[in-house]
Amino acid sequence: MRKLSTAFAILVMVSMVMALAPAAMAQGPVKATPGQAVKMVLLPKFLGNLVFDQAHEGALEAAKELQNPEPLQFLGPTPQDSVAGQIEIVTNSVTQGVDAIMLSNNAGDQIAPAAKAAREAGVTFVTWDSPIPSAEGEQVFVAQVDFNETGRVMAEMALNILGPEGGKFAVLSASPDAANQNAWIAALKEVLKEPKYSKLELLDIVYGNDISEDSYNQALALVDKYPEMKLIMAPTTIGIAAGAKALQDEGLCGVEGQEPKVVISGLGLPVEMVSYTLNGCAPQFALWSFRDLGYLTYYVTYLLATGAIKGEIGERFEAGRMGVYTIEKDPTREKGLRVLMGPFTIYDKTNVEAEAK
Amino acid sequence: MVHSTISLPQRFLNWLRSWEGLLLGLFLVVLTINSALVPAYLSVSNQVNLFILFIEKSIIALMMTFIIINGEIDLSVASLMGLSAGTMARLFELGAPSGLAVAAALCLGLICGAFNGFWVTVVGLPSLVVTLAGLIAYRGLVWVLVEDRSITTLPAWLCELGQKPLIGPFPLALLLFFGFAIIGYIILQYSGFGRLVYVIGINRDVARYSGVNVRRVKMILFIASGFIASLAGLLYAARLGAMRSSTAEGFELDIITMVLLGGVSIFGGSGSLRGVFLSILIILNLRNGMGLAYLSANVQTGVIGLLLILSVLVPNLVSSLRARMVRHRELTRALEMAESS
Repeated sequence: MRKLSTAFAILVMVSMVMALAPAAMAQGPVKATPGQAVKMVLLPKFLGNLVFDQAHEGALEAAKELQNPEPLQFLGPTPQDSVAGQIEIVTNSVTQGVDAIMLSNNAGDQIAPAAKAAREAGVTFVTWDSPIPSAEGEQVFVAQVDFNETGRVMAEMALNILGPEGGKFAVLSASPDAANQNAWIAALKEVLKEPKYSKLELLDIVYGNDISEDSYNQALALVDKYPEMKLIMAPTTIGIAAGAKALQDEGLCGVEGQEPKVVISGLGLPVEMVSYTLNGCAPQFALWSFRDLGYLTYYVTYLLATGAIKGEIGERFEAGRMGVYTIEKDPTREKGLRVLMGPFTIYDKTNVEAEAK
Repeated sequence: MVHSTISLPQRFLNWLRSWEGLLLGLFLVVLTINSALVPAYLSVSNQVNLFILFIEKSIIALMMTFIIINGEIDLSVASLMGLSAGTMARLFELGAPSGLAVAAALCLGLICGAFNGFWVTVVGLPSLVVTLAGLIAYRGLVWVLVEDRSITTLPAWLCELGQKPLIGPFPLALLLFFGFAIIGYIILQYSGFGRLVYVIGINRDVARYSGVNVRRVKMILFIASGFIASLAGLLYAARLGAMRSSTAEGFELDIITMVLLGGVSIFGGSGSLRGVFLSILIILNLRNGMGLAYLSANVQTGVIGLLLILSVLVPNLVSSLRARMVRHRELTRALEMAESS
């Protein structure tokens, strides 16, 4: 009896949502109806990476808010088996009859046939963190930040740290052929042409190949080569942490009230950077919150799977504590839709400890 | 002492039979647990998916069985898969007719296989070293060819073959796998060539002094291995509808795992395609069941690893136990005889 009444209640809710959806679209953002049973799989690039665990936490938070009676499955391949493993998990999830898959794609377009098969089986398919390049089989991509925005954020942080007088700085990147790094550095150079940032001078770009030792040594080499350099900008989480350690070990970032000689900034993980931010080696750095990304992705997917939104350009919806978002054409790909999370979170002494917990 | 010379091959046969019996038992256990615990397991689509997800590795494992029984190893297969897929994709992208692109990739497989074979048979280097070099070099060539991007423009008919069923619910790759398994079984177990593969694997020098053309047999095996690997590379690219420089990276270890679990000795000379076929069934069904039961990938890797450790330990343990039992029996018999006299 109880089961029957629950089923009836769900039916009523679903039909209500269906009836209200067009009206809601005309009026304002769509809101999710909590309590609907949606079997969802969160599929990261691979297991054992902190940022994906954070995304998982965010998704669990959303699941709790939405009171989804079905438990969230967090399934990922091992790093060595990422591509074949992701395809395997997508295929098996369809066999298991899940309702929705949330993928941080590490297989490029090679995942597309499996994703298309999932769509044909009626599974809601959303990507986050990393999309399917061709957008085949994917309904919406939940993007962390606009990649062009990265250049502006770096310039802004440099100005914040160096003050209105500006100064000279260098970039410590990952590898010379990392597409995202190059795009970010190109965006940074573009932004530096604006009058607001005219006092910032970019001395050099070096590469630490995302290896801690190499990045450490490259940071020290920069210090030796450019005595007038005041800041290193590292748009890589490995580079910024290794660089900060190098500056700290050499006592360059101001010991006991002294004025710092060189400091570092860029993109970093709060948990890895907290000590350097508190001791002044990395006064400011930025990253998007993977927790928020997981949270938003869960909302988008839940709304799609319950039919509250259809996955069309211009649809507006509310994602719990994060507010209202709109589905738009993804400008970074030929095809495909995206929900842009943004903006960057800038971390400094005031907020880094809370995030690093 | 007299009957031990008779019972040695007999015991060897018994061991083989019992190892395969063990595999069969293990397979039945996996089958029972899966069908009892996972509702979707027995559906036709899942049974096909279960093979398709690992079909390229399974096809190469059949060929690798010949190579390892022959006392050699081919570590270059996965890189060759990538090179073959990359060659086909790049040629097609540059405007070559699709048939030509596919044929060129297969020919390249033959050439790379012959290249491996040349260094092993003519120059006499260990295949471990030669094919390790192949693993690195062929992968390097893929990176030169494709660079850091993915190629998605593949021949439409090839993707159709890779992704759609051909006969009934079975796609081409699955039919090829079963076809190869039957043909391979007949060649290895019932043909003169198959016997030579074993003889050379047991003792290369004895085989050579008995007039066996060792070089020819090994050369044929390496060329065939190159061809099968490049075919598997094409099947893989067709199934995924795209390829990258990293396509099939690291597959060689999974393939060798399948062969060793099948009871093939890494030192050559013993094992059978029957055992490898069973081992493929076990690994595929185990992974499928664990995947459908939402076990984490780390647990899955652990279970397969444990299985492999057992597959190395159990045969050694069994044979040493059996030797001890025989010794014990002989000892008691001798004692009884001494007492009665």
